[in-house]
Amino acid sequence: MNRRRFIKMSTATALTIAASTMDGLPGGAGLFRKARAETAVGKATGSMGAKETTSVCEMCFWRCPIVAKVTDGRLTKIEGNPKSPVNGTRVCARGNSGVQLLYDPDRIKYPMKRVGARGEGKWAKISWDEALGEIAHNMETVKKKYGPHALAYFDHGASAENLREIFMATGTENYTSEPAFFQCVGPAALAYLETLGYIATGTRQYNDMAHAKAILLVGSHIGENVHVSHVREFIEGLSQGAKLVVVDPRLSMAAGKATIHLPIRPGTDNALLLAWINYVIQNNLYNKAFVANTCEGFDRLKEEVKGYSLEWAAKICDLKPDGMKAAIELLAKASPNVNIHPGRHATWYGKGDVGRHQLYAILSALFGAVGVPGGLYFPTSVKVGHVECVEQKSKQVAPIEKSLKDIYPYSAMFGTPTADVIKAMVTGKPYPIKLLGVNGVNIMQTIPDPYETMKAIKNLDFIFCEEIMAGETAIWSDIILPEAVYLERYDGVYAYEGLTPYITVRQPVLPPMYEAKSPYWIAANLAKRLKVEGFPYKDDKAYVDDQLAAADLSIDKLNREGGLVTLKGNPYREGKDLKIGTDSGKIKLAVEAFADEDLDAIPKFEPTPAPPKGYTRLIYGRSPVHTFTRTMNNLWLNHEVPENFLWLNDTVAGKLGIKNDETVRLENQDGKRSTPIKVLVTPGIRPDAVYMAHGFGSQSPLLTRAYGKGAADGFLMTNTIADPFMGATSKRTNFVKIVKGDTVLDIPEIVPLPEEIPRAGRQVQAG
Amino acid sequence: MKQYAMIIDLNRCVGCHACAVACRAEWDIPTKEGYRRNWVRSLGPATTSKGVSFTSYPGLCNHCDHPACVPVCPADQIDKTFTEAKTSKTVTMKVAATWKDPFDGTVQIDKSRCLGCGACAQACPYGARYVNTDIANKDLGGEGIADKCTFCQPRVEAGLPPACVQTCISDARIFGRLDDPQIAGYIKNGALRLQSANVKIGPNVYYAGAPKDLELLATTSTPQKMPQEANLRRTFLAGMMKPVMQRIKGAGLV
Repeated sequence: MNRRRFIKMSTATALTIAASTMDGLPGGAGLFRKARAETAVGKATGSMGAKETTSVCEMCFWRCPIVAKVTDGRLTKIEGNPKSPVNGTRVCARGNSGVQLLYDPDRIKYPMKRVGARGEGKWAKISWDEALGEIAHNMETVKKKYGPHALAYFDHGASAENLREIFMATGTENYTSEPAFFQCVGPAALAYLETLGYIATGTRQYNDMAHAKAILLVGSHIGENVHVSHVREFIEGLSQGAKLVVVDPRLSMAAGKATIHLPIRPGTDNALLLAWINYVIQNNLYNKAFVANTCEGFDRLKEEVKGYSLEWAAKICDLKPDGMKAAIELLAKASPNVNIHPGRHATWYGKGDVGRHQLYAILSALFGAVGVPGGLYFPTSVKVGHVECVEQKSKQVAPIEKSLKDIYPYSAMFGTPTADVIKAMVTGKPYPIKLLGVNGVNIMQTIPDPYETMKAIKNLDFIFCEEIMAGETAIWSDIILPEAVYLERYDGVYAYEGLTPYITVRQPVLPPMYEAKSPYWIAANLAKRLKVEGFPYKDDKAYVDDQLAAADLSIDKLNREGGLVTLKGNPYREGKDLKIGTDSGKIKLAVEAFADEDLDAIPKFEPTPAPPKGYTRLIYGRSPVHTFTRTMNNLWLNHEVPENFLWLNDTVAGKLGIKNDETVRLENQDGKRSTPIKVLVTPGIRPDAVYMAHGFGSQSPLLTRAYGKGAADGFLMTNTIADPFMGATSKRTNFVKIVKGDTVLDIPEIVPLPEEIPRAGRQVQAG
Repeated sequence: MKQYAMIIDLNRCVGCHACAVACRAEWDIPTKEGYRRNWVRSLGPATTSKGVSFTSYPGLCNHCDHPACVPVCPADQIDKTFTEAKTSKTVTMKVAATWKDPFDGTVQIDKSRCLGCGACAQACPYGARYVNTDIANKDLGGEGIADKCTFCQPRVEAGLPPACVQTCISDARIFGRLDDPQIAGYIKNGALRLQSANVKIGPNVYYAGAPKDLELLATTSTPQKMPQEANLRRTFLAGMMKPVMQRIKGAGLV
């Protein structure tokens, strides 16, 4: 271990409402309103003439600026904020459906206490006083009995910051353990940080598709994966004539628009990327001036990749050399205005995930596509104050002998690996973890393996969650706290550092319904019981105003400006303005620091085991209509897309006698079965993989609309390979058979496997 | 008449359903099965003669040149005067409870006079209408009220784009008069109308896109037959009812 850095991954999103005025919020305490039955026909004038409040969406974490429209005290519609340079008047299906999150009759309405066994789903309504008292008591008891590190916190999103500070104040090292990192962007963020010196892809992504002459997507399925500004930039680029290369085992919506689609054998992306890099170097397609002036490690790169030919890769990847060659030529021709998309969700195969993203970054560098239009660009720093509610000196991590941050060389700068926290709960090693707080994340469907998670939860002395909807994680909790919806609260300042930067704020459109409370209120009141000092602001508005003051703004001033101010961006940097943030000031085509940790400085191709005989690989992605497992109960979204489909190759389906729309189940390599799912028979997926959209198949009966509809990929993930850099966990290393009626069907092998690729054993041991 | 029309550019569309949800929000459409003014159907991935296509069918009322839904309406005809906002020109014509606007070409419904008989919904080869049976003009003996896309007439008159157009995240929907240069350009470049040998009623929603996507759209989503028999039966029944209703109404006035 030679490097320890603390990186603040998320932008300042803390929310403050001073405890003393908590109940002074309009309708804050005990307000109870019934969700209204749907009207038969709306007003003849639609949403026109409604009272408008600008705010920020939280139906996904992309956080588009919005305008919420209220008529007769009821939120009727959400539109994009016309002042926003990224989405204008537009919001996606989910953004539109925030209305139905607010009025979801299944919302958690008051604090609840478990009365049955964990996971049984039996609850009693309790008071806030009792709920917070129980949590404080258990936090103190567990800390006293096992030490501070026995407390852990899994979190995601804007609501998580305040409670995190409480956990930090206990002295635990487990105050941030984000599936959004360890099950998602972790390997990508690290690869870009080490190669380019900044996180070109993390919470935000700084890739300029709108001005690209060519775009490469590897597995990214923009369009099905909807972040409005990205979809807009992608479509804008294509409409301006950008060529598009999509590498994906599946014909995604993006692949359907591609100039060249390369339906690659799953798990072989690095072979293709290495061969492409070699081809670019050998054929002098790289930007020599840029490489000479801005990069280091070129000779080593050239040497290490020289064995990877297109012909070799064609065999590994099951692609045609001609197509591979045409694709890389097309990308090279667009240099430097070429967008090697950094992907987003990176935890695919465990080994090679950091490497894959290193290879994207290397390709960008070889093309000189850094700091130029169409390539990767630099964020523009937006100055807003970062305000913390608990002073830093009260948030010191307690001394620790065996840290969960020491298992992998690069965990420490991001948090404790989720999988290792769960392992510690199950085994008590390296130390026992006995209390878990969960905020804004459904760990049961997000962290593989959920059966291990259930085992871990059973071992806990106490688990509580702060949530809006009761997914699987909530039903395993001892106490559930009802959180206010984003439309019911102030929530900090949102500073966008993209092409056209802006500052906006989230503010309440309506007072909280039921007994829901804002994340700040919850944290502040828990802090009081735990005697944690902090939360100095008069109210939440004062807190937000203090952050805005650094930008010479206030909420009132912003509201007079339409809720948003745009700033001047500085995304492109060339010549002496181009400053690379690595320690050497150069883009690292070889990351020597990795070698210091016995990891590859330049990725080598290491094959991911192929499915065992009779199995096919389970891959997954997004529905444009849903966010994670968060929106499947939403009235409007559920109505549009109530269930997912299993994409099954038409040749395979023919051999198995499975017809379109037929209902099947899946059984994985460890005998775990899915809920029923309908089949989409299609030529749009390879024979050696099946695909489903994530975010369905809820096993929480408290989500009455979503319960059991479609299948959940997460419940089929019992085999994980740990990423050797940071302990992120793989999600594409599970294999399934199809169950039709009571018959388990072997999947025929249509594409022969080259000998270089080993086959996974049937019972695959967890990594 | 300057007909309103819509282009849906499948090259830009990503199938995200924002249009469908924004419409539901704007007009407060219940979520019962089949209750919707517009829709998005996922198509494919499927083989076409021009490659494998994965696209969408974002559908809505076509505000046809010769709407099949209008003549089948059994409601009493009344004189209705239409005024063109720009010129103040007026036209008076006899209309039942649904008509084609003489100035903007949109097909509209008078909700207060609809009997909910469903004849119009059944007459439409595109399935663009539904009957909301949770409400009715009880005084007319109505059984429900028909509903469909209005091209957001109230919004358009107020100078706003239709809700689906406003929210479209990729600007795939273009709304305007047929002679709008952008719309005319798309049509000149071969934008497709969902018409077949037996269904030629002049739809005013046009689809642009890659040849493979248009082929998949056309083969899966073009109506092949006018739904004649069904609507004739409904019209007949509704026609039978009408005099009875009038008599009852008359009796109430005595």
